[in-house]
Amino acid sequence: MRLFIALIAALAFGALPLLTSSNYIVGVGISALTFTVAAAALNLVYGFTGLLSFAQLGFWGIGGYATALTVVTFGGNFWMGLLYAAVLNGVLALVIGYPILRTNRHAFVISTLTFALLAALIARDWVSLTRGPLGIPNLPSPQAFGVVFDTTHKFYWIAWAFSVAMIAFLYALCSSRIGRTLVAIKQNEPLVRAQGISPMPYKLASFAISAAITGAAGGVLTFHLGIIDPSFLDFYYMQTFLIIVIIGGAGSFWAVIAAGIALSALPEVLRFSADFRMIIYGVILVAAMFAMPSGVAGWLRAREVARMREAIR
Amino acid sequence: MTALLTVRDLRKAYAGVHALDGVSFEVAAGSITGLIGPNGSGKSTAIDCLSGFQKLDGGRVSLDGTDITGRSAHLIARAGLMRTFQTVRIYERLSLRDNLAIAAQQFDPANWVDEFFRTRRYREAVEASELRANQLVDLIGLSKYYEIETGILSYGQKKLVALAAALMPHPKIVVLDEPVAGVNPSRIREIEVALQQLNGAGETFLIVEHNVEFITTLCHHVIVLEQGRKLTEGTAEAIHTDPRVLEAYLGLSPEMAEAEMRGAA
Repeated sequence: MRLFIALIAALAFGALPLLTSSNYIVGVGISALTFTVAAAALNLVYGFTGLLSFAQLGFWGIGGYATALTVVTFGGNFWMGLLYAAVLNGVLALVIGYPILRTNRHAFVISTLTFALLAALIARDWVSLTRGPLGIPNLPSPQAFGVVFDTTHKFYWIAWAFSVAMIAFLYALCSSRIGRTLVAIKQNEPLVRAQGISPMPYKLASFAISAAITGAAGGVLTFHLGIIDPSFLDFYYMQTFLIIVIIGGAGSFWAVIAAGIALSALPEVLRFSADFRMIIYGVILVAAMFAMPSGVAGWLRAREVARMREAIR
Repeated sequence: MTALLTVRDLRKAYAGVHALDGVSFEVAAGSITGLIGPNGSGKSTAIDCLSGFQKLDGGRVSLDGTDITGRSAHLIARAGLMRTFQTVRIYERLSLRDNLAIAAQQFDPANWVDEFFRTRRYREAVEASELRANQLVDLIGLSKYYEIETGILSYGQKKLVALAAALMPHPKIVVLDEPVAGVNPSRIREIEVALQQLNGAGETFLIVEHNVEFITTLCHHVIVLEQGRKLTEGTAEAIHTDPRVLEAYLGLSPEMAEAEMRGAA
């Protein structure tokens, strides 16, 4: 049933460029799709495995730069750029993940935050590679099978296909035994070990997969914007991913996807009052957290548990 | 009877204090063996060491002829030693069904490729696990809670869930760390009956417990620790009347100690 709804929603989103000629709306759609993928990747590592990773911001930026540099500096195309961004981030996550996953959860949070800040620093200061604060403008439009994706409407299809594929992959992963094991690790790691399961490979894999997907999502958005500069590593992005995961309900797959779409669109919906829109947005978030501290999914779940408890009396 | 678990000269020190000072014992296959001793006698340290949750400073542990000394906890579990914890550990935000399924999953041959393609190997593994889970849930009397988050259960019921989870993969031996501590006295009898039934079906148990009444009704063989050393061992009968045990346990004269124990149980 949920899968059926998801399929209908995916097709409806695919039809967005056919319904409007507004570049603005389609552009918001592209942001919403890429943010949702990045949030779903954060949900894998934070919501499921219980590792609060701020490194997502670093992976997002590194992915954007890797894709741009593949095209501009290393003579590859957009598609190779996405692949390199994913592979580079996956390898980076394995390399930094192995030592920092051995520390406790607090140290992990601090280490990932440091990684994100370091990535921002490199983007700004390694001028010979990244062109520093000037950034890399005029990124060429991607091409495939003789089609040039040179308008917002055409580019939307890339973002859509990418998002649907990534969300489908993450869903398959999270709803499998592997996903269930990640939840078990989050809830009670010593018990997992006592049941013959080594947590490390699972934690490392979820961190690396999440990094790879976040990086590729960053690459897609970079080519929609047509430019990348150090502001792509602004904390605003991390904040957005986290808000989506927390409001949706960490550890709940579809609620986070729905929250991703809704919360990416919300600041735009509020544009009717340009001066106050971010304040209204903030008030809505705070109110939502008061009413539903474990997110929408947590609220629904609490009701379900209460109903079952009632039923067995 | 053959020894299933053999512990030789176990040593563990914390900052110079000898928590375990050369403890040796055996657990016979098919037995229920008790490990008792006053607070700080090293019972918990002993089972943490032999299950791989703490590094030991010296000694040997072997399970069914295989040396498992110094292996990581998950490898010892895979070798066939399952344990529970003193403060109950279960997955509180997962259903009883998932709690039991996860407990068995490392022990079936299906991997993620099998799962993705829903191969026969995967389906058979899931079926076997479901069957086992249903039997255990019936045994512990929690069938009606099968689909519900285990967090809502009472403390005693959670202990039963932990016990069932430990039994899921048909382990060679189950080590129970205080299975009835904090459990409502009316439920203790249920746990006793369940353990006796499981033992009748061939399961081997090593039980660490404070409740002497519980240990003496259940165990074939009892090992007594005091200050990191083995004080004595023998049948439950013999231990129950051993003046050294009574003194060590409660620091009382034998008559008073016995009265205390009856009262505590």
